[in-house]
Amino acid sequence: MGTRIMVVDDSPMIFAQMESLLKDTEFEIAAYCQDGEEAVAQYDQIRPDLITMDIIMPGMDGLETAQVLLEDHPEARIVMVSSLAYDETFEEARTIGAKGFIDKPFEKDRLVEALQKAMEE
Amino acid sequence: MGTTLTQRDLEKLLDRIVQEVTELVTGIALRPWEGPLKGDPRTVRIDFKKGALTSLTLCTDAALLARMTRNALNAESPAAQDMAEFAKEFFNILCGKIATVLYRETKVSARFSVPRFYDSRYEPEDRRVQFVLTYADEHQGGAQLIHYVPRDGENTAT
Repeated sequence: MGTRIMVVDDSPMIFAQMESLLKDTEFEIAAYCQDGEEAVAQYDQIRPDLITMDIIMPGMDGLETAQVLLEDHPEARIVMVSSLAYDETFEEARTIGAKGFIDKPFEKDRLVEALQKAMEE
Repeated sequence: MGTTLTQRDLEKLLDRIVQEVTELVTGIALRPWEGPLKGDPRTVRIDFKKGALTSLTLCTDAALLARMTRNALNAESPAAQDMAEFAKEFFNILCGKIATVLYRETKVSARFSVPRFYDSRYEPEDRRVQFVLTYADEHQGGAQLIHYVPRDGENTAT
C-alpha cells in the first residue's frame, strides 16, 4: 500500500491534477476535502500519512486548519500548497509545524519530491 | 523596511505577472491590446483582505476562457462548470503570484478572498476603477485585468 494522502483544496481542479500526477507513484489519494472544516472532521476516520493543504479556502483558511489539526494530532504531516510563496507565509507555515511548501502551479517532479521530503522529515 | 509602489509601478508589475502566469499555466501569449473587449464576457473577482484593501477582476471573453481551460486541462471541449473552476483557480494562482511579488517589492504581506466567478461582465458597486490592463491573444480573444480601490478612500496597492 502506498503513502495515503488527504488533499484539502477548494478547487476540484487541483484534486484532479494531483490524482493524475500521482498515478504510478508511491502516493495514493485516500480522501479529498473541499474545505478546512471537512478536513478536521474527516481526519480521525481517514488517518492519512500526509495532508496537502491549500491556503486560500472558504471558511477556515489552510494555515488555520493546519494549526487546528496539529493541535489535536501533532503526528499529522502537512504540506502547504499555495501560490502565496513568500517568506512570511513560509515562516508562518513552519511555525505552525507544516513539513513543506509546494508553490502553485506545480509539476509532477516537484510535487513528488516535496511529498517525499515531507515523509522523510 | 518596505517601499511604496507608484500606480505606474504597480501597473507594470501586474502586466508582467499576467503575461507570465498566463503563458506558464495555459501556454497562451497575451499581448497588450488597445481595443475594447468583445464577445460574451466572464468575470472572476478577488478582494485583498490584508495589506492592500483593493480588488481585482479578470474579465475574459468566453472563447478565450475556453481556450485557456482547454490548454490547461487538456480537455477537448470543457464544460461551463470546468471553465468556471479553471477561472477561479487560475485567478487564485495569478493573485498569489501578485501577492508574492508585492511582498518582495514592499514587504507588505497580502491575503485575499476566495475567487468568485460571474457568468457575465461584473463590476463591484462598492469600488471604483483605478486602472485597466487590456490584452488579446493571437485569435483576438480579449481579457481585462481591472484594479479597483475603495470608493471612499485613496488606498493604493501598498
